[in-house]
Amino acid sequence: MKKRGIGIGSMFYGMGYGFSRQDIGSAIVEICEDGSVIVRSGEVDYGQGSDTIFSQIVAEELGIRYDSIQMITADTFTTPNSGPTSASRLTYVVGNAMLKAARALRKTLQTVAEEILGEKDLLFVDEEVFSESHPEKRISFERLAKEAHNRGLPMVEAAWHDITTADVDPETGQGDAYDVYAYATHLAEVEVDTDTGKVDVLRIVAIVDAGKAINPLNVEGQIEGGVAMGLGYALTEEIKLEGGYLKTKSLGEYMIPTSLDVPPIETHIVEVPVSTGPYGAKGVGEPALIPTAPAILNAIANALGVRVVDLPANLENLHRLIREGLRESQTVGG
Amino acid sequence: MQRFQFHQARSIEEALDLLSEKGERTKVIAGGTDLIPALRNEEVRPEGVLDILEIEALRGIRELEDRVWFGPTTTFTEIEESSVLKCHFPLLVQAASSVGGPQIRNRGTVGGNIVNASPAADVLPALVALGAELEVQSKREGIRRLPIEGAIQGPYRCVIKGDELLTGIVIKKYPPETRSLFKKLGRRNAMARARMNLSLLVRLDGSGAVEELRVVPGAVMPVAKRIARAEKILLGKKLAPSLLEEAAQVMEEEIVKTTGIRWSTAYKLPVIQAVFKQSVMELLG
Repeated sequence: MKKRGIGIGSMFYGMGYGFSRQDIGSAIVEICEDGSVIVRSGEVDYGQGSDTIFSQIVAEELGIRYDSIQMITADTFTTPNSGPTSASRLTYVVGNAMLKAARALRKTLQTVAEEILGEKDLLFVDEEVFSESHPEKRISFERLAKEAHNRGLPMVEAAWHDITTADVDPETGQGDAYDVYAYATHLAEVEVDTDTGKVDVLRIVAIVDAGKAINPLNVEGQIEGGVAMGLGYALTEEIKLEGGYLKTKSLGEYMIPTSLDVPPIETHIVEVPVSTGPYGAKGVGEPALIPTAPAILNAIANALGVRVVDLPANLENLHRLIREGLRESQTVGG
Repeated sequence: MQRFQFHQARSIEEALDLLSEKGERTKVIAGGTDLIPALRNEEVRPEGVLDILEIEALRGIRELEDRVWFGPTTTFTEIEESSVLKCHFPLLVQAASSVGGPQIRNRGTVGGNIVNASPAADVLPALVALGAELEVQSKREGIRRLPIEGAIQGPYRCVIKGDELLTGIVIKKYPPETRSLFKKLGRRNAMARARMNLSLLVRLDGSGAVEELRVVPGAVMPVAKRIARAEKILLGKKLAPSLLEEAAQVMEEEIVKTTGIRWSTAYKLPVIQAVFKQSVMELLG
């Protein structure tokens, strides 16, 4: 028999390392004589899109195209330590360092542009700097960079952003462990085959608070990827050990979801700006993943009336649970 | 990767010449989706590997008057896309499309699925249900034909000898009112070995009684085979829940008789019964 159920999973998540553990992001931003921009920073973009986000932040501040920025990252010879890519911290921590360095450069450029244009109400937009009240007074970003270099002004800025928190009270465990928190809620609709223990996830609705989505498409991608990971965590992924030896040695045995297993995902990005984030942004990497499994497991409980407490809820585990549940209800019901 | 001699044959004769000389120490390779992992894991250590993909006579699908012939190096994708097979043997098409993912189906061949004789094969049990006949050639014996049921002796053990080559698969057409269904239960919807599968073929007579029935569960026994005792219970009768229940019970008994009780039986026995009942109802209900 096939039974359907709906479940909700909600979470809050402490961003960065918290508990007084070092949590520093850094950036070196350089404007070259020809107006090109190079950013150096120690963290790695392993596909989640942090290089794009940082380019966007620097570009936003300097009024230039984000794809004209060269990112140099994760190179111990040339980049400053920026901490690892983990704890959903890059946009929030390193993004702030980018913002500071870019703003410092802009301040220098502003003084040069004021001198050349004779106006103070300057806008940095589309590779140009111009006066808001006298828009005919303008200079290209490239030319401005050259002028700044000619004047011997610093066209390299380094910035750090430190969110290392105080620790909690060692006696009571009370205190504010993290700098900021992220919030997310997922809804799952499932269909369970009570004869086989097979769960089909029909739909996921994922609502994630990004503070400010600097790149909405990227945030959506992270949410969808997170949902796929959460689905695997709930239903199929399992590390087996035998006497301390790993038995799950390949992705042929460790079952991550395929494109045929991931259901339609409806993403909703909530933007409640956080005053301490760049443009109000915070990370979404892990927040996108955490509520999926609880939502699916709650949906299974809603469908069956029995609750999974050992993951994964795979064919055998769920089938056993259904049978035990049936036996119990038969006993209870006489 | 271990070292071995690599041979490539352009014709059946060329392949048989080589196999008659070096067959016992040579592995035949087609798509390689089973053999290459086995070579990498050093589960087999052949002196030579013979590639047969270049042999034109071993591929293709040909419709004859009362049967369909297809070559062993026909890929699962080619089976999936064949209008002849879709028309006459949808069961085979369903089974082929459940194998692995697109990459494996583009590469893997039906002959490999038979000769490798994995207990979790998807296409092999479908061919058993369809009563396929294998055409095997060797220099020693020429052509011999054998029914697929009986050609598999045990897990990964096929009766085709070292000097022989599978050169064709033949399935007789059946009356058009016959219905069939392939069901697969895996841990995920693609790229998963079958926890179990079921090939089902049924035809009713004018009165609605079961005239023909073939039930072949896969991945629950060392070798996929028809469960004749369960088939008999329904044969000649109209479908009734009590009969279906009885047939499912008998199927379980037959599986236990061949396989014994293993760690997986607690799950597999009740579930294969349920899948069987669901599938029959889906076809006839």
